[in-house]
Amino acid sequence: MNLTHHEQAMLDGAHGRAAQWGIEYQQRVGTFFDAEDFVPIRLVHISTDRETMGDSGLRFIEELAAMPPADRRPRAFAAADFRGFDADAFRFLLPGRDLAGESEEAAVALGKLGVAASHAYINDHSVTAPTFGEACGYSGTPSVIYMNSFVGARCNFEAGPSSLAAFFTGRVPRYGFHLDDRRRATHAFRVDFTPKHAAEWGAIGALIGRKLNSYWSVPAIEIPGARPAVLSLNHMALNLASYGSIAMCHVVGITPEAPDWQTVTAGRRIDTAETIARKDVREFLENWGGVGEPVDVVALSTPQLCITEIAEVAELLAGRKVHADTTLLIYAPLEIKRAAAAMGYAKTIEDAGGRLVHGHDFFATYAREIREAHGWQRLMTHSVKVANICEGYGYKPTPASLHRCIDSAVAGKVLP
Amino acid sequence: MSDSRSSGPEVGIALIGHVGMGPAVRGIALAAADDFSTRYDLDRERGIFSRPSHKLYGESYVGRILVLNAAKGGVASAWMLREMVTMEKAPLALLLNDANPVMAQGAAFANLPFIDRFQTDITAAIRTGNTLYVDPAKGVVTIERRGR
Repeated sequence: MNLTHHEQAMLDGAHGRAAQWGIEYQQRVGTFFDAEDFVPIRLVHISTDRETMGDSGLRFIEELAAMPPADRRPRAFAAADFRGFDADAFRFLLPGRDLAGESEEAAVALGKLGVAASHAYINDHSVTAPTFGEACGYSGTPSVIYMNSFVGARCNFEAGPSSLAAFFTGRVPRYGFHLDDRRRATHAFRVDFTPKHAAEWGAIGALIGRKLNSYWSVPAIEIPGARPAVLSLNHMALNLASYGSIAMCHVVGITPEAPDWQTVTAGRRIDTAETIARKDVREFLENWGGVGEPVDVVALSTPQLCITEIAEVAELLAGRKVHADTTLLIYAPLEIKRAAAAMGYAKTIEDAGGRLVHGHDFFATYAREIREAHGWQRLMTHSVKVANICEGYGYKPTPASLHRCIDSAVAGKVLP
Repeated sequence: MSDSRSSGPEVGIALIGHVGMGPAVRGIALAAADDFSTRYDLDRERGIFSRPSHKLYGESYVGRILVLNAAKGGVASAWMLREMVTMEKAPLALLLNDANPVMAQGAAFANLPFIDRFQTDITAAIRTGNTLYVDPAKGVVTIERRGR
């Protein structure tokens, strides 16, 4: 990689040990992907869920935090989606593990580094806002695909240690979605119906992601109907990432770089668009099965629910009771949980037997251990990503609409 | 399940990929035409593939040279590979047809030998049980011996 004098000095240790580690590490990754140089950034997002980070990741961060300040000077603004843990909920979910205590250690170490803590799952709409065309160093896959696809900012997956390196160097290697050519669409899809709920949006992302199955693929997608809500787009996008490791899509008419098909395909031949039909989505969702079986846990998360979804859940649960053999978990950022409490939604949910949980998502908090601790098998969720991940943890997932998830939680079995 | 047929690729054949990262190693392959994520597919405490639909379901990957198609999923692998190395529950090396940044960032953080972008489909060229020499600095994998 070509280094500026400043970057070479950083590599030589003139700007502190953290920056030296960071740029050496970034150079190895950049070289792996044939990056010619670095691009400056001002915004960094760090994924730091405790399960993912592990003890070795925590020790690494603590070692950085123990350096003298001159050795670990920040060169970007960083927010960690360090969402904390709901102590009451996790005492119930994982009585054998002190998640709150474990998370506190990491929060303290990150705080010493100058990383701002966020409670949001996708902090694209709460903490930071890059501009169109701006390079940034985001970590979480949903955040990255959101930035590339709906904001028009430029980002690769800068996962855990990589975003930490960017925090100390103020730059990232310039490859992938920092380059104009990589951002152009490689495939085209036309959805022939307007999805009705989050699971259908998620299924569209899963079908396209599974088909393309490459980080370097960029699907252009046309969806009929009114302009989709950002939350709907997020459910689709995070499943493109979950199933296909895809970091950018063009939603025609929404993506800043894709106002129309002509612009999407400019200078590049794309064979005829494939159709994603309603029956494809229906089959995808039905293939998970489970109808009529007892449902052990209903986990509504990923992303954490927003206040309008909490309101919907509360209305669906009003005057009803969750089945005694079913656990209903509803994940929300701390701020949203507080808002739900102030508005009375939290009480409605709790009176019905549901648990409103703040902090890290279900799948990111030792979901395998939770299953084993409770002997759970059948899981329902409105999030296709949760279904995808938790299948690997031994659950039998059934993704469905929010409405169907709640009705099933009350019935104690998977309703059709 | 993994391919354990007795016939196999030609011994001594060198498979050319992109220049990789990490030290050179010699070891036994665990190969399948399937994708890879540390979060989605593994029981990292037991060191086995735990996703029922994965072609390596139930197989131990610890100390093996993992040969798979594409990196999938999200950010988790960047932290997790290092934790797996620390816990001595890691593969010896990782060979993929198609990496994503997360897997490369994880391999760099863990100092795990890693190569991708081969000139041939690596999952077809290598079979479980092959003895491999992996040279990331040159981007070359040599099949030294067939069979388990």
